[in-house]
Amino acid sequence: MYRIQIDRSLCSGFGACADLAPEVIELDASGNATVRVGVTDDPAVLDAAAACPMAAITVIEEEAEAA
Amino acid sequence: MNGRSVLIVGAGLAGARCAETLRAEGFDGDLVLVGEEPVAPYERPALSKEFLAGAKDADDLLLRPGSFWAEQRIELVLGQRVDSVDRTRRTVTTSSGLELGWDTLVLATGARPRQLPFASPAGVHVLRTLADAEALRDELLPGARLAIVGGGFVGAEVASTARSLGVDVTLLEAGSAPFERALGPELGARLARRYRDHGVDIRTETAAAGFRETSAGRVDAVVLTDGTVIESDVVLVAVGVAPAHELGRGTEPPIYTCGDNAGSHGHWTGAAAEAVETARGLLGLDPLPRQPPFFWSDQFGLRLQLVGDTTQADEVEVEGSQDSFVARYRATGGKLVAALASNRPADVGKLRLEVATAA
Repeated sequence: MYRIQIDRSLCSGFGACADLAPEVIELDASGNATVRVGVTDDPAVLDAAAACPMAAITVIEEEAEAA
Repeated sequence: MNGRSVLIVGAGLAGARCAETLRAEGFDGDLVLVGEEPVAPYERPALSKEFLAGAKDADDLLLRPGSFWAEQRIELVLGQRVDSVDRTRRTVTTSSGLELGWDTLVLATGARPRQLPFASPAGVHVLRTLADAEALRDELLPGARLAIVGGGFVGAEVASTARSLGVDVTLLEAGSAPFERALGPELGARLARRYRDHGVDIRTETAAAGFRETSAGRVDAVVLTDGTVIESDVVLVAVGVAPAHELGRGTEPPIYTCGDNAGSHGHWTGAAAEAVETARGLLGLDPLPRQPPFFWSDQFGLRLQLVGDTTQADEVEVEGSQDSFVARYRATGGKLVAALASNRPADVGKLRLEVATAA
């Protein structure tokens, strides 16, 4: 599982993250990235974080926890 | 990749992104980030804006929380300038005599501000590091007279911040308008009008020929090439940056280069993207799809966001109002090569796709 954090003070509205991981990240009305789901198993979040020019997205890989 | 340890020289954005990406993509060996500044990787673009204005302090600028680097097993060696690389013994030596070994070396030494070709008395600043920004901030007192040499993005952003602090600002630009080269004459004229409306005295087609100083050795004027004297209490020299590649360049194993020293032109996003690609290359991963260059600037109430490469453009079409507009840059034949959004943040995603699709 991947835990996603977006530092919205760093986000400058490039928007590539939302194209690369649309299930997890969307853009708000002012074009800034916002998290749809904070924890996901979608590896696209790694590409989304890598594509961010501001390094605003942190992805931390976690062991899946029992529900 | 060679061996089990990676040493990255340079703890700016590129070095930090390279280290982070190596870990995120599964590198498990020793990872050391050596930085000349005594601070953990931070957000440099804020130096000319929120930090200079006093709205953010040094802790607010950190790219990652303090605990992040230890959690990621990335060792930060800070306040150490690497002076030499021994390619045979695979070590680097710092200015304080510390010797560090590596199997793979990444040079992410960044860039340094260009200087003017004459001596700078006290009160003449550059702006690249946190220490530079602290020194400048301490002198931007209400009523002070600031002369800025260079009408690029750093100069414009400092002008904007300084005006908000009640500082008198004179901006010296070698071309006929600020940003003429980066954004074209039409947008340059538009921005110049806005700066003047905000009380900035813009002098174009001129350059600094020297500084006049007091008997105590402090700047008190900038002398221009035509002999004009601009009385000044503080001067910022913002005439671009030069790559710091004293340590050489690495393009093949076991030495690599990424960031501004590799030629990403001082643009924040180019350095970040290169650093990610360098890390992925070290791990044998395929490159990610290329994103168009991106740059943004906050100045005089405008958020400017630029996607693409304006240097290929022959014509510009602008739609919208004075403050809130989109400019599309087209090459001969009509191909869209870049787009600038001013106070249109919600349009940037669409413009980025337009530029990427046209490429």
